[in-house]
Amino acid sequence: MNGSTPALEVARLTKSYGRSRGVVDLTFSVERGEIFGYLGPNGAGKTTTIRTILDFIRPTGGRATVLGLDARRDAVEIHRRIGYLPGEFGLYERFTGLEQLTYVGSLRGGVEERSIRDLADRFDLDLGIRIASLSHGNKQKVGLIQAFMHRPEVLILDEPTQGLDPLMQQEFYRVLHETRERGGTVFLSSHVMPEVEHVCDRVGIIRDGRLAAVEEIADLKGKALKMIEVRMASPVPAPAFEHVPGVREVVAFGDRLRITLAGPIDPVVKALARYEVLDLQSREPSLEEIFLTFYAGPDDHAG
Amino acid sequence: MLASVFAKTLVEQRRALIWWAMGLVAACLLTTAFYPSIHENAASFERLLDSLPEGLRRAFGEDFASPAGYLQARLFSIFAPVLFLIFAIGAGARAIAGEEEHKTLDLLLSTPVPRRRVLLDKAFAMLAATVGLGVVLALAIAVSGPPFEIAVSTANIAAAVGDCVLLSIAFGSIAIAVGAGTGRRSVAIGLTAGIAAGSYLIDVLALSVDGLGWLQRLSPFFFYRESDPIAHGLDPWDAVVLAAIAIVSTGIAVAAFDRRDLAA
Repeated sequence: MNGSTPALEVARLTKSYGRSRGVVDLTFSVERGEIFGYLGPNGAGKTTTIRTILDFIRPTGGRATVLGLDARRDAVEIHRRIGYLPGEFGLYERFTGLEQLTYVGSLRGGVEERSIRDLADRFDLDLGIRIASLSHGNKQKVGLIQAFMHRPEVLILDEPTQGLDPLMQQEFYRVLHETRERGGTVFLSSHVMPEVEHVCDRVGIIRDGRLAAVEEIADLKGKALKMIEVRMASPVPAPAFEHVPGVREVVAFGDRLRITLAGPIDPVVKALARYEVLDLQSREPSLEEIFLTFYAGPDDHAG
Repeated sequence: MLASVFAKTLVEQRRALIWWAMGLVAACLLTTAFYPSIHENAASFERLLDSLPEGLRRAFGEDFASPAGYLQARLFSIFAPVLFLIFAIGAGARAIAGEEEHKTLDLLLSTPVPRRRVLLDKAFAMLAATVGLGVVLALAIAVSGPPFEIAVSTANIAAAVGDCVLLSIAFGSIAIAVGAGTGRRSVAIGLTAGIAAGSYLIDVLALSVDGLGWLQRLSPFFFYRESDPIAHGLDPWDAVVLAAIAIVSTGIAVAAFDRRDLAA
């Protein structure tokens, strides 16, 4: 009936904490059926944004809506329709996993135990163990299960994969895709670029409390830089590579070259082939390096 | 069993409640069992009491030799209220601030349970647990009294214990309010215990210092002690004042909790 309203909309959202960091004038929206990544370094304001949407903290300006409902006024109805995983959370240590999940489920009006057990099987979690004796990763699984178990329309997940081993991360990504297939919307925060690239349709990049960009992942990948470090048999002058397509910067020191590249790697490899290459390493630049390249503010070069 | 915040809060402390109940029964037995020997030596105890300052004497009760006077002095003047206050203030401070400090509050409030409902459920759980302990104490006195020559009417036992329960619920509610307003358990416990100790001192002080009658009426302990319920039954107005403190504190707690940014 209101299928056209976005799953999540944030308009001029501002939260100031005296002089310390908060978020400033955030505006973005997340469409239904989308997996939206909210990317930024730790401390950039991701958790502040999310907890404002959940009505745990109140904005000093602007507003947020979820499924067309006002975050402040309709918080209870929003909570009914979303699943939420906090970035940092405690569980009731004396409870077993099943007791914790049953409790949260009953506060949601009851969740089928079948649904809890299915997710626990997928994440390989023993529900009968007391939470006090669970590892950090297993507690994270309990948090994930309570977010998904009632099959909510919108999922708001703050750093969902922290503490999960790679196998479980893959399972989590599968659950995310199934959620999108059944029409659900996912808003997830992360400070890990490859993760966002891997699972999200769009990404909002936040830095120092301000939204630096909102991009389709495909566009971001076009912008993504690669760092190639090469060790040559003999010193090679940097200018020999400066005009190779896609090369942004070449730094030469002795027999080593560091090439910063935007775009396909092939032309560089072809150019390198004319020399004797002893070693070649290619790595993804860190998020910080991408920020500095594409989203640096005017003040950022000072330091 | 875990169908509501109220039920979960009680279920979670079932073991602690059993220990509290056993402790109360033991304290009660130690009190009642010594009555016969004290009764026999009443004269020397009266002399001891006479040597105390008047305020303290009146705070402890002057009629040490009668069963009601003995229970008042040994149990209801300070011992039982302190135990009940420790329990209720602890439960009140845990209610919101405990969840917030253990970082379980975000998950709890992300369910469709409004903040005020969480707080009221916690408040009623504190009330139910305190009343439960009151019932245990009242039963213990009623059962263990007669074998040791303590004959006090059941109605007066219920009145005295009920008075104690009301006093502790009043302070427990203050602890809920401080915890809900600050999110810090230690502040809730410290501030509320401080208020309790201060108001006890005011009440005792006003008994021996003339002209402090007005000040005394600011102390919940005055309304707790004034009517001497173990001897004369509970004055309804005293009960109303204590209940009003609890209700107003809970109202303030709801308002403060509803408005506040919660700690991550």
